[in-house]
Amino acid sequence: MTKSRVVKQLKNLNKVVYTTKLPQIVIDRTKYEAMKLTFQRQNTNGHMGARKFWHDYLPTLQYYNPDFRIELLRIFNSKKNVDVPCILEMLDTQGQAVETIDMKGKQSAEIMQELLKTIDHTQVPKDQIVELGNKD
Amino acid sequence: MLANHWRPVLLRMPLRALHTRFGPLAQEAVTGAAVAAAPAQPKLTKEQLRRRELRKMIRSKMLAKRPASQDKVYLSVPEAMRILRAVEVGQPTSQQTITLTTMVVSEKGVPPLHGDVVLPTPLKPVRIAAFSADPELLKRLQEEVELEIVGGAELIDQLKSGEVPVQFDKAFATPDIAPQLNSKLGALLGRRGLLPNIKKGTVGPDLLAMIRSKVGAMPFRQRAANLAFGIAKCHFSDRQVLGNLIAAREAFQLAIQNQKSKKRSILGRSTLSSTHGPGIVIDLA
Repeated sequence: MTKSRVVKQLKNLNKVVYTTKLPQIVIDRTKYEAMKLTFQRQNTNGHMGARKFWHDYLPTLQYYNPDFRIELLRIFNSKKNVDVPCILEMLDTQGQAVETIDMKGKQSAEIMQELLKTIDHTQVPKDQIVELGNKD
Repeated sequence: MLANHWRPVLLRMPLRALHTRFGPLAQEAVTGAAVAAAPAQPKLTKEQLRRRELRKMIRSKMLAKRPASQDKVYLSVPEAMRILRAVEVGQPTSQQTITLTTMVVSEKGVPPLHGDVVLPTPLKPVRIAAFSADPELLKRLQEEVELEIVGGAELIDQLKSGEVPVQFDKAFATPDIAPQLNSKLGALLGRRGLLPNIKKGTVGPDLLAMIRSKVGAMPFRQRAANLAFGIAKCHFSDRQVLGNLIAAREAFQLAIQNQKSKKRSILGRSTLSSTHGPGIVIDLA
C-alpha cells in the first residue's frame, strides 16, 4: 500500500515538473510581463479547452517561469445567455495586450501549440529539467 | 457426546432445556469437541491484536525517527514551495493556503498535543476587541496597541442587538465586565470561540500583557495522529515561509515538553500541501 501511494504521488508531482513536455519553456521576459486568460466558468460554448489548458499546462509553465505573472478571469454564465470571450492575452510591461489567442472551440493541446508558435521563448535546457523520485 | 465439564451445568438445567434444538446445550450435543475448543479462540486473538499493535507502534516509531531526506517525496522547502505555487496557478488568492501537517506518534492514553504558535508572518492581520468598564484604561491601552474595537457595557448591548457587527478575531476583557459578557454575549461570541474567559487567559486585570502574549498566537491541537494548520500563503517569500516553519517547530517542541505523561509523543513525517496541490515531505526536525 505504501508503495502505490508513493508512486501515485511522484506521478502527480512529475506531471508538473517533468512529464508535461510542451510548456517546458522560458518565456522572453523583455517582451512579456504577464499572461491573462479570460474564459467562462461553464464548459459550454467551447470553453472547455481553455479550462483544460489551465489545468494541464499552466502549472508547468509557471514552474519553469516562477516570476512570470499568470492571471485568470473566469466569468460566471450559468444561464448561458451571454457571449463570454475566450481569449489568452500576453501583456507587456505597460499592461497592454501584445499577443491575443482565441481559445474558443479549441482543445488544450491545440491552444498550447498555438501559444508556442505565437510567443518568443526558449526551451528549458535539459540539465535544468527536474525529475523527481530518481534518487536511487 | 457431551464433554465432561458440561455435566454440572446439565444437572442444574430444567429438563425442558435438554429437549431444545437451540442454545449452547443443543450445539454441544451436535458438534461435540469442536465447539468445546471454541472459547479459547478470542483469548488468542486478543493476544495477537496486542502484538500487532506493538509491532505497529515499533514500526511507526522507527519511521518517525528516520530522517526526512530518505523519503521518496522529500523536497527542500524552497523547491516544495516552487511546485505548490505552480500548482495553485490561477486559483483565487484566498484559497492559496499552504498547510503544514505533522504526524504524531504516541502511545495509548497519552494526552493529545496542543499549544499556541506565534507566526512571524501571520496569514491575516488579527483584529482585537477589548472590553472594560474603565474607559481610562481602554484609552491608555489604545495608545499602546492597535485595537479594532473597544468599549464597555454599551458596546456589549450594541453587539447583542446587532447594531455593531462582530468583526474581530480576538477578544479580551477585564474581570469587572466578564460576567456581563458571559450572560449577554455568551451565545453570540461563544459559538465563534471569541468569548473571553480566565482559562484561555483572555480575562484579567492587565489587558496589555495578555494581548502581547496572545495576539498573533494561533492555537493548535492534535487531531487523531496529526497536527495540521495553515502555515503560509502562496505569495509569501521563501524566507517568510521558513520563518513560520521554524516558529511552528519550536511550538511543537514546547508542546511535547509540556506534555503531562511519562511517555512523550514523537513527531513524525511533516508535509507541506496547498489547497489544490499535492503533499510534499519536508524536513522539520
